[in-house]
Amino acid sequence: MTTTSPAPFAAETGSPAAAEFREVTQRFGDFTAVDRMDLTIGAGQFTTLLGPSGCGKTTSLRMLAGYTRPTEGRILINGQDATTLPPEKRGLGMVFQSYALFPHMTVAENVGYGLKLRKVGRVDREAQVTEALEMVGLAHLARRKPRSLSGGQQQRVALARAIAIRPTVLLLDEPLSNLDARLRVQMRSEIRRIQSETGLSVVLVTHDQDEALEMSDDMVVMKSGQIMQQGHPADVFSAPANRFVADFLGYENFLTTSQGITLAIRPEHLQVQDTETDAVDEALNLRATVTDVAYRGVDTLLMLRARDPSGEEVDLLAETRGEDPGRYTPGDNLTASAPRHRLVQLGDD
Amino acid sequence: MTSRKPIAASLAVLGYMIMIVPILFVVAAAFTSGSSLRFPPEGFSLQWFEAAAGHTPFRAALLTSLQLALLSTGLALAVGVPATLAIHRGKLPGKGFIEGLFLSPLIIPELVVGLALFQQLIVTYRIDNFPVLLLGHTALLLPYAVRVTGAALAGSDESLEEAARGLGASPMRTFFSVTLPVLRPGIFSAGLLGFITSFNNVPLSLLLQARDTRTLPISMLDYVQQSYDPMIAAVSTLILAGTVVIAIIAERTVGFTRIFGGINR
Ligand SMILES: Nc1ncnc2c1ncn2[C@@H]1O[C@H](COP(=O)(O)OP(=O)(O)OP(=O)(O)O)[C@@H](O)[C@H]1O
Ligand SMILES: [Mg+2]
Repeated sequence: MTTTSPAPFAAETGSPAAAEFREVTQRFGDFTAVDRMDLTIGAGQFTTLLGPSGCGKTTSLRMLAGYTRPTEGRILINGQDATTLPPEKRGLGMVFQSYALFPHMTVAENVGYGLKLRKVGRVDREAQVTEALEMVGLAHLARRKPRSLSGGQQQRVALARAIAIRPTVLLLDEPLSNLDARLRVQMRSEIRRIQSETGLSVVLVTHDQDEALEMSDDMVVMKSGQIMQQGHPADVFSAPANRFVADFLGYENFLTTSQGITLAIRPEHLQVQDTETDAVDEALNLRATVTDVAYRGVDTLLMLRARDPSGEEVDLLAETRGEDPGRYTPGDNLTASAPRHRLVQLGDD
Repeated sequence: MTSRKPIAASLAVLGYMIMIVPILFVVAAAFTSGSSLRFPPEGFSLQWFEAAAGHTPFRAALLTSLQLALLSTGLALAVGVPATLAIHRGKLPGKGFIEGLFLSPLIIPELVVGLALFQQLIVTYRIDNFPVLLLGHTALLLPYAVRVTGAALAGSDESLEEAARGLGASPMRTFFSVTLPVLRPGIFSAGLLGFITSFNNVPLSLLLQARDTRTLPISMLDYVQQSYDPMIAAVSTLILAGTVVIAIIAERTVGFTRIFGGINR
């Protein structure tokens, strides 16, 4: 799996690249789904592609897997140009959103399919199938047909089938979106565990920011076929590059300073006080009027209207915890404030 | 069902009766020991089955029918299955038009097709009857092959083939290890329907017959015009029994819902 040839290094992570996109463009007719994308996927890293529906995540993954040929640009796998290689020559493992299990084969046959094609002998194959199935906790279902399994189990089989061939990169296209909320959270840590046990390079596509934040070493935020920001989840989360990324990661409050700089503040970081004097030390102090109150159990959401430092009227959202839900009512006047380290300065989109 | 919807239930019962009762009359008449086709039968005997089995024109016609049904089904599948694959999975321009072309025998009256084939191939080019019959039946069965396998294909996940490719299978390997097995129930259904359709066909077989190339239904029609005795009931009963056996095999192997679900899609 490791290459002896010197592989280029990913700028963000410092690890060798498992795959690279170089100026890759994908057009469907005159619609550009992926636009001159440069992307380095670090070896042994868990990379997520995050972005809203239609931003080109699946298209990127399919180009990497070889199911669609880029209109322009090159794709490298393990440092080798793979732009024109058919999927069967790429050695990648893909888990489809629909799982795509072969209905006429048993679970074991599904998992062993790629090994059989690699001419692994029966004894070795059975051992490797069992190993892959044990990794996803399904060794006891080896003889069943996929149809008789639950959605979550089918998903695990698809995962086992992909990892059994020890792929250069494991590709996961929204693998959790068909599962119920509880199973989804459980599978996140399970996939993470499998990744760290196997040391596989993983690319996961998702439009769920929680999933991306929780699972990835390297997070790639996309919009309309372009990469908006790439980095460690904690860095992207605390310092979104622009308004789009901030918006997508749950920053709700956007203000313009008197110098014309855009600031973003998370709703949980916007504090409210009854009086102006309490908050004089804060970097940001705005007089605001409550427009609506939504009680949510753990916290209460306050919708506020204020005038930002540039004199513009803005709507703000503050999440207050431990407050008596009846404390504020629409029409109340208060002070919204935030300390300096909670103010995130944004670049242009 | 019976208690909730009395009208629907009685209609269903009536429907079954209208279909089944005449069949029961025929079956009963076949076992008569008398010599006329009437109900109730006079006594019980298997003599008319023996007579039918020994009747040379019927034996020859059965052989022709079976050959024709098997060959035309095979040909229709050999042409129809790849065509379906191209229509559903390929990147053909004008897919809709091509599919329409393959389905068109469904709407063109068989008599017209039969007459055209008769006029052109048999009269003008003096081609033997059997190849022409085979051609006509194959055209007749093509829509079934395209439609039923197409339904099976449309119901299957397109990423199955992509998954196989991703795991290392060549396009050829993918076809034989994934596409074809997934299609197998659909192909089986199409084959079964095709066989029955060809075997029971009258209009084409009637127009394209020759004295020594005659299918069983045509031979039976011919026989009824000359003599009206229980032998025809015995042949009908045998065909019925054969059909029931095929239906049971179909039900056991694929299931009716799969087969007919395939047509209705
Ligand atoms: N084969 C195709 N032909 C034409 N347009 C396509 C094709 N595949 C994708 N597109 C378009 O390209 C854009 C990106 O699609 P893609 O499937 O990559 O989005 P995505 O980010 O995966 O979205 P989602 O989260 O909804 O899955 C979409 O606008 C889509 O309609
Ligand atoms: Mg997608």
